[in-house]
Amino acid sequence: MGDRAIANEVQEAVGEKKPMTIYRVITNEYFLYCVSTVTFLLVWQVIGQSDMFKGALASPVQVVLRFERMLTDTLAGLTLWGHIWASTSRVLIGFALASAFAIPIGLFMALNPYVDAIIKPVFDIFKPMPPIAWVSIAILWFGIGEPSKIFIIVIGTFVPCLLNAYTGIRLIEPELYDVVKVLGGNRRDEIIQVSFPASFPAIFAGLQISLSNAWTCVLAAELVASRSGLGFIIVQGMKMSDTSLVIGGMVIIAIVAWTTSLLIIILEKLVCPWKRKLEGF
Amino acid sequence: MAYESVKVKKPLTLTLLPILSVFTFFSAWEMIVDTGIVPSTMLAAPSAVIKLFLVKLTDPNPDGAVLAAHAWTSGKEAFIGYLLSLAFGLPLGLLMGWFTVVRGLARPIFELIRPIPPIAWIPLTIFWFGIGIEGKVFIIWLGGVVPCVINAFVGVRMTNPTLIQMARTYGASDWQIFVQLCIPSALPMVFGALQIALVCCWVNLVGAELLAADQGLGYLISMGRRLALPDMVVLGMVCVGFVGAVIGYAIERLERRLLAGIRR
Repeated sequence: MGDRAIANEVQEAVGEKKPMTIYRVITNEYFLYCVSTVTFLLVWQVIGQSDMFKGALASPVQVVLRFERMLTDTLAGLTLWGHIWASTSRVLIGFALASAFAIPIGLFMALNPYVDAIIKPVFDIFKPMPPIAWVSIAILWFGIGEPSKIFIIVIGTFVPCLLNAYTGIRLIEPELYDVVKVLGGNRRDEIIQVSFPASFPAIFAGLQISLSNAWTCVLAAELVASRSGLGFIIVQGMKMSDTSLVIGGMVIIAIVAWTTSLLIIILEKLVCPWKRKLEGF
Repeated sequence: MAYESVKVKKPLTLTLLPILSVFTFFSAWEMIVDTGIVPSTMLAAPSAVIKLFLVKLTDPNPDGAVLAAHAWTSGKEAFIGYLLSLAFGLPLGLLMGWFTVVRGLARPIFELIRPIPPIAWIPLTIFWFGIGIEGKVFIIWLGGVVPCVINAFVGVRMTNPTLIQMARTYGASDWQIFVQLCIPSALPMVFGALQIALVCCWVNLVGAELLAADQGLGYLISMGRRLALPDMVVLGMVCVGFVGAVIGYAIERLERRLLAGIRR
């Protein structure tokens, strides 16, 4: 990495050449990543092949083979891609619906005290209820079809979206508003020039939380009642005592959920390029 | 803040509106059920829920336990899972933040497991542990351990590097820096984790009980669905929400006490 300029700070990276020793190779973080992954898979394979869990743990090789078959064979009329798409489309529809409503409401609440006074208390009643608790009532209302699943996702994603949009605006430093006032801006300039851009990072953080909530919700909905989707694969695996199906389903959920959250990160980079990355996860 | 705090008097409308809004909400709810716009087989009126609440305090029918027993079971499971996730997640996160070897070994596995929603583990859990309390505790533990690790990790990583360099200059060992510098500076994040993890545990509890249980608040909800009793579903949801809110509030107060003087 060379010199990077962020805003008006220049960060200089100082490279230091160290001799290549065995100790340094062994303690290298990326080397350890490989070691740990390989060990994990090996241990899993050995345990899976042995009879320790009495067949209740499929080995990685079994899982991969099972899912290679799933690519062409059908389970309940859909191939693996069909199931992945079934879950993903539910998540995307629910997620889009919830964020389209929740973010504007959250922004509106933070900017207008009267709207805040009306919506906040009712919202506070719903806030602590876990989205999974809504599964039952969704089934009572909408049956076990598509609408009930989307409803649950909307409920699950609504709260973090709204909350983050709200706090995003609330936590803006008042100095920024003062600057607009000093420069002769009116309320409208304040909102468009300061409030919106400054709340973007918080909104995106909310979207990330929402998305992982959405995956939890779609799974809960599909585990309780469904005919397609990744949750359905897991349930089928459970019913047929086919652990390779269960574990494979979990792995695919992890991959798909991870991919969708990556999309949000990319979108965030496009929308607010000024945001600096925090050290850590 | 360099400002003096100025007391701004709230307009009367702003104090009245929240009360009015909650009142309107509940009366509208009561109205649409009573007038039959929404049939009572789909949604229970608030009055019906309160009535059921009073009945359920003493009557174990039709789901086999009184409300207190459900709440006790759920609370016990959530609490054990929560404590275990703290006991495992916080040390792991702290160590991962400071020691490269621990980070290198633990991080890939953690990243592998992190994106899997805890409720996806339910089928495997049933295979491994059956439907007893161990399985539910395992699910709850999975939900709580992720935020614990992340927060403790980030807390250590955010330690002021100047302080670390200073400690090095004075000849502190790696372990000393970790114990005397990194851990204290990670404390605010760790306390943040206490609250987040508790919320995660509580959410996952409902998920775990929704599928396999014979007692607990989540079980009350799914029983209500199976018996098509909307008042029981709503009662269960209200109880879960209420208990969750109370716990969250208590932890927040505790956090404020313990962290008095540390600014976040």
